[in-house]
Amino acid sequence: MKHFLYLNWHSARSALLKILRQPFGSLLTLLMLSIALAMPLSLYLTVSSIQDWAGHLTATPQITLFMEQSAEEADLAAVSSTLAKHPRVESFSFIGKRQALSDLEKRNGLPGLADGLGDNPLPDAFVVKPRSLEPHELDMLQKELSGLPMVENAQFDARWAQRLYAMVEIGKQLTWFLAGVLGLALVLVTYNAVRMQILARRDEIEVSKLIGAPDSFIRRPFMYHALWQGLLAGLAAWGLTSWLVLLANPAISSFAQLYNERLSLRMLNPQELAIVLAFSALLAMLGARLAAGHHLRRIQPR
Amino acid sequence: MIQFDQVTKRYPGGNEALKNLSFTIDGGEMVFLAGHSGAGKSTLLKLISGIERASSGNVVVSGQNLSRLRNSQIPYVRQHIGMVFQDHKLLFDRSAFDNVMLPLDIIGFDRRDAARRVRAALDKVGLLSKEKCMPIRLSGGEQQRLCIARAVVHRPSLLLADEPSANLDRAYALDIMELFKSFHQVGVTVVISAHDETLMEDYGRRIIRLKEGQFAA
Repeated sequence: MKHFLYLNWHSARSALLKILRQPFGSLLTLLMLSIALAMPLSLYLTVSSIQDWAGHLTATPQITLFMEQSAEEADLAAVSSTLAKHPRVESFSFIGKRQALSDLEKRNGLPGLADGLGDNPLPDAFVVKPRSLEPHELDMLQKELSGLPMVENAQFDARWAQRLYAMVEIGKQLTWFLAGVLGLALVLVTYNAVRMQILARRDEIEVSKLIGAPDSFIRRPFMYHALWQGLLAGLAAWGLTSWLVLLANPAISSFAQLYNERLSLRMLNPQELAIVLAFSALLAMLGARLAAGHHLRRIQPR
Repeated sequence: MIQFDQVTKRYPGGNEALKNLSFTIDGGEMVFLAGHSGAGKSTLLKLISGIERASSGNVVVSGQNLSRLRNSQIPYVRQHIGMVFQDHKLLFDRSAFDNVMLPLDIIGFDRRDAARRVRAALDKVGLLSKEKCMPIRLSGGEQQRLCIARAVVHRPSLLLADEPSANLDRAYALDIMELFKSFHQVGVTVVISAHDETLMEDYGRRIIRLKEGQFAA
């Protein structure tokens, strides 16, 4: 056991030294890997920053039904019971014209407004919370509700927020797609790097096999090489995205300021960094394992 | 120690290198394999070390039937065998010391003890002063002795040497034979192949003579 740990430690150390000793060749591979990792990472940060920001805006879209001035109790009851039974409606509340007016008085600090107006000009209204946030469903619901008897119109609040959500959704899917494709690229790049190393060290592998080295012994240095490469590429990708975020943030904040909003891209948090490092190391080791599996078998002593 | 039971080795293409061979080599014996090149000497050694597998028959080494072992188990058999090659098979990217260290790394030796063992093996073959040399700077005879040091550093119970003195002049060849004899004297089973029988006859050991894959008359 002690020996096993020692062997692993020794392999890990010499694999790292090997990378550091050939700075140019290793740097090229590292750069390639880190750019491949940085692309989905920056997209992820962009999407999640926008999502965080959008979370502060009106969270869920609502549809407000304004009734005709001439609507009577019976009409209100009919709409109310339709809404209660409607499958696309999560919940709704009723704001009568009298309550609406008193809300307005309170909000604007205008006591006695109702008296001054004489007739209440505000309509009765229902605030409807839809069950689904999917844009198409919302459209259907809005059309349907505006067609109810004695409904003057159905107004969609925060429609643009809805569109933003949809774009964030697309961004998320794009992030996953990119992460998948470039994760595969990472596996292939390490596969190739390890394959080249195996071919370059053919003699050593053949002699080691001749004098009794099991596959695990021969594989070990390549696995550690891949582990370091994955970790270093992950770190480099983190550096690259952080740099990108710092570079982009002034422009983004000044753009957002035009709309009186505060928006800036965030950095990876420690947990996310740990996940990125773990994944890039694992994917690199997967590539190395596949390469070793395919190519070590072909080297047999004669 | 080594038992061949009706062993035949046929290479792809139909060439029969060994034909229905049966013999036993006892533990602690020193045996010579003689015969012209192509007689099957190398094949016989490769069967003992598991580099090749018998087409039929059983090869038993240290009580293990190699025909029944899985490929993944063969390395562990080889860890108990020391092998000396005609072409040395040294690694030219590392020092003499590191070449001899390789078998100990493989079987997993404590590093400090290992360094002591490596120096003892280098001393035994007379190369202690050249431990830092790269193999390319050693003469042919020195390279062969380095190969021997690597073969014995992990103290195998069986030592196989395939034409160890083929490319050396007679004085060097005798040196190397003396080395093998000294390993035999401490109880190691030694099997040496050579096509030059004059060297072996001085030692008065058993000689297995092969001709076209069979015992020569």
